[in-house]
Amino acid sequence: MARRKRNPFKTNAYIVRAASAIAVVSGPLCLLISTLLILNYWQVSTLDPLNLPELIQMREQLAASPESAEATIETIRAMDLLARATFFTSQRMLRTGGLIALIAALVFLAALRLALHYTARPPEPAAVGPAPRYWLERGRARELVVFMGGLWLLAALVAAVFTRLDIPIPATEEAAVAVQETGTAPAALVTPDWDTVQRQWPNFRGPGGLGKAYYTTAPVQWDVATGESILWKTEVPVQGFNSPVVWEDRVYLSGADKETREVFCFNAATGELLWRTQVGPPAGVPVELPKVNEDTGYAAPSVAAQGDVVCALFGTGHLACLNKDGVLRWEKFLGVPDNHYGHGSSLIIFERLLLVQYDQRKNGALYAFDLDTGAEAWKQERKHISWASPVLAGTPDSMMLALVSTKNLDVYDPRAGTPLWSVECLSGEVGPSPGYGAGMFFTANDYADGSAIRPPKEASGEPEIVWQFYDSLPDISSPLATDTFFYLLTSRGEIICLRPENGEVAWVHEHENAFFASAILVGDRIYAVDKEGTVLIIKNSDTYEELAALSLGEGAVATPAFLDKRIYARTMNTLVCIGET
Amino acid sequence: MRGITRRTFLFLCLVLWAAFFSIPALAAQTEFRFPRPEFSSGYQHKAIHLPPAALTPPWLDVSLLILFLGATTWAVLRRRSRNWVLVLSLASLVYFGFYRQGCVCSVGSVQNVLNAFIGTGEVLTLTVALFFLIPLVTALYFGRVFCASVCPLGAAQEFCAVRPVQVPHAVDTALGMLAYAYLGITVLGIWTGCGFLICRYDPFVGFFRQGGSFNMLLAGGILLASGIFIARPYCRYLCPYGVLLRWASIFARRHASITPAECIQCRLCENACPYNAIIPPAPEQEPEPRSVGMRRLAWLLAAAPVLILVSATIGWTVHPLLSRLHPTVRLAERIAAEEAGTVAGTTIETDAFREGDQTVPSLYAEAHTINRRFKPAGAALGAFLGLALCARLYRLSVLRHEHDYTADKGACLSCARCFKYCPVEENNGQA
Repeated sequence: MARRKRNPFKTNAYIVRAASAIAVVSGPLCLLISTLLILNYWQVSTLDPLNLPELIQMREQLAASPESAEATIETIRAMDLLARATFFTSQRMLRTGGLIALIAALVFLAALRLALHYTARPPEPAAVGPAPRYWLERGRARELVVFMGGLWLLAALVAAVFTRLDIPIPATEEAAVAVQETGTAPAALVTPDWDTVQRQWPNFRGPGGLGKAYYTTAPVQWDVATGESILWKTEVPVQGFNSPVVWEDRVYLSGADKETREVFCFNAATGELLWRTQVGPPAGVPVELPKVNEDTGYAAPSVAAQGDVVCALFGTGHLACLNKDGVLRWEKFLGVPDNHYGHGSSLIIFERLLLVQYDQRKNGALYAFDLDTGAEAWKQERKHISWASPVLAGTPDSMMLALVSTKNLDVYDPRAGTPLWSVECLSGEVGPSPGYGAGMFFTANDYADGSAIRPPKEASGEPEIVWQFYDSLPDISSPLATDTFFYLLTSRGEIICLRPENGEVAWVHEHENAFFASAILVGDRIYAVDKEGTVLIIKNSDTYEELAALSLGEGAVATPAFLDKRIYARTMNTLVCIGET
Repeated sequence: MRGITRRTFLFLCLVLWAAFFSIPALAAQTEFRFPRPEFSSGYQHKAIHLPPAALTPPWLDVSLLILFLGATTWAVLRRRSRNWVLVLSLASLVYFGFYRQGCVCSVGSVQNVLNAFIGTGEVLTLTVALFFLIPLVTALYFGRVFCASVCPLGAAQEFCAVRPVQVPHAVDTALGMLAYAYLGITVLGIWTGCGFLICRYDPFVGFFRQGGSFNMLLAGGILLASGIFIARPYCRYLCPYGVLLRWASIFARRHASITPAECIQCRLCENACPYNAIIPPAPEQEPEPRSVGMRRLAWLLAAAPVLILVSATIGWTVHPLLSRLHPTVRLAERIAAEEAGTVAGTTIETDAFREGDQTVPSLYAEAHTINRRFKPAGAALGAFLGLALCARLYRLSVLRHEHDYTADKGACLSCARCFKYCPVEENNGQA
């Protein structure tokens, strides 16, 4: 059934008149209030009620003549209150005015709509229909769309020509941009071969972090008191428990306290401090400090150097890569470590990758950053916390990156980050890093065990725990695994020598002082630094044979660096170079 | 369905529907999504009182969206009543606009969807996904009924359009391309991590919330005031979601028609639509020889890949300008200007940055890294705009042979304005 169509074009003069009157009042009212609001907004936005000139003057007056303090303070208080009250009154006015303007606008629109509704005229089609215009309009629309497209392209071209980002390009960024834009690599970092790396002392415990020196010529006799064989001795500006790292003619260290985090570079020949570079926010700018043990501090991780760069990580989570002349290449903030003793894992470099063991209570990770750009090459989640450092074992073609945590020895492919294998062999809070010798990894931790672990012979194979040792164990000093004997240096002052084939004790020597530093194999000798700064030089053999016990002059917890006829040792406050002139 | 009446079945469906949505909603109210940070200074968090609108369960929003869409479809397609459309617009404006303060909103949901797939990968909530999808699906079947009266942004403008004039068709078509640009920039913004640009530059949300930045309030005021004469300027020339609805609506199976029966070519509706959404019958006589039109079309099709490529190249080269959309780039530029002494004073952002842990060189490096991301993003934007231009030119170059006054399915907002101009009665087709 058809519905009756009502006349949609009604007129009603009374309603039109009334609605028009309302619109005439509400429209201008809305316009007026809006104008006032805009003026008020400009006025309020230029106000800075707490820094009015009069208030500033009064404050200066108070600072200049404190004797008239009471009266001036009262005046300042009154003015401050007045300024605040004025500001908030303006704010209230803005809000109320806005609401009134909105209501006025709604009334205006409703009235206008009503008035127009009741004056609506029925449609009167033009004498000529749309046909003649039809094609013309389509043609014009086409032209206008083309014009608009052209305008866009032109505007974009102009913008492309005249717009540039006024942001300085950091050194590393500049290099990356040059590579991208010119297609030619700038003076990129040269990656030294593994043989070259082994001739340096690139990280904590030397090449690969295994505690074995390439050179066998380290001094066996010196006297700090008389200066015999002491080439130089330099004070380290800021404290840190990290160990010296040497690449060619430069010795690198880091130091930090609550205010500052710095990397230091010394001339290896003279001991002169060549440069010191701040990492993270400038010194004095407060950063969020993690809780750290006083034996850990904020600069426990040793730096890592390779060729023209040196990288440093601090207990605050600030990681930086510097050129060998101290200029920042790139830096990162890894987040404040969730680590109850303070972060202690040192850095290590493999080929172009900086490997960072960032084990925490939660969200721990093993990172690999591109040494050149700082870009993250890969990342592996780490489930357990530790304070030990990563080591590299094997040949360059089949290099194994080994890390220990509160439970496991985990081995990764350092190039891709792929986990290769893992074995549960530890417990407790692990500080000592693994050793590698006689084809086996050697892990140890106090109140847990010492384990000799043979890696799988094939990729699909399983690692084998060859033997375990449960007697006296270290909690800070890392075990040393040579091809002939395995060594443990404990915080109780014991030196334990084990046979790698079966874990039997070859000998035990009870020293009077604790060992925090790690033992280093130099030729057929073992160098062990105790906490008082005495260096025991012992024979790597099946009986305890002490070749010398020489002092560094003060206490030491850092592991020295051993190069050709040189030892670089960090004591509590100084860096000492021992060797032949 | 034996043993159960249709009414009971519907009731059970409703109960299930409500339960499905209310469980996660209740859970969301009882705990924070992320634990609040602890401060070493001992600072204690103050109790948080959420405004009533924030406590509205999501299922209510989705249900009202469906209800309004259903009612509008009924009002437009069955009832053919402009008054009903206006009543629903008012209801939508009050609920989705002033009560829900413009959020959740289908227009903004575009960004959430994009963000889930090409942005930060944030989880897309079911409510937002439904707000994005339901109007599009409705448009696929019934046209842009969402724009008619469910969108609060559209409703606000609809009430302002008291004396609309017809913008010349050519100008209207050209200005309509701006919406494609806005959509492209929105996608680029999400892809490059610039944030939710539609929300940031929403000109009407300030009115809904009775507060906002001065510039956006001013922009909204100008749009609404101009909307008295140029109906729905935001919907027609800027709305990015409108572009998607336009695409969907082209395929609408049951779109609103000007006449309820056969068109009698009375021409009364000729000037009824302020949106230029009424397509008049094409003249019998063609304006130019068919070969000329064919040649133009061939040229256009041949030039399209070149135009898209050129547009993409220009988009690539204009990346420094585009990268300023990113807050980090803007901050780095401001810091650089402050360091160079080319600007006086500092801003809240630069002060906050200097209080933080990040260093200036690393900020610069980050800004340059972001800037590089804008190269492919700019190229994609350029290619998209080139493609949109070509598509629009193609549509304008193809002969169409409408015999009656028909609604342009893409442009028609289903506002029901034209109905009263048609003298044809329903059912019997009599004038």
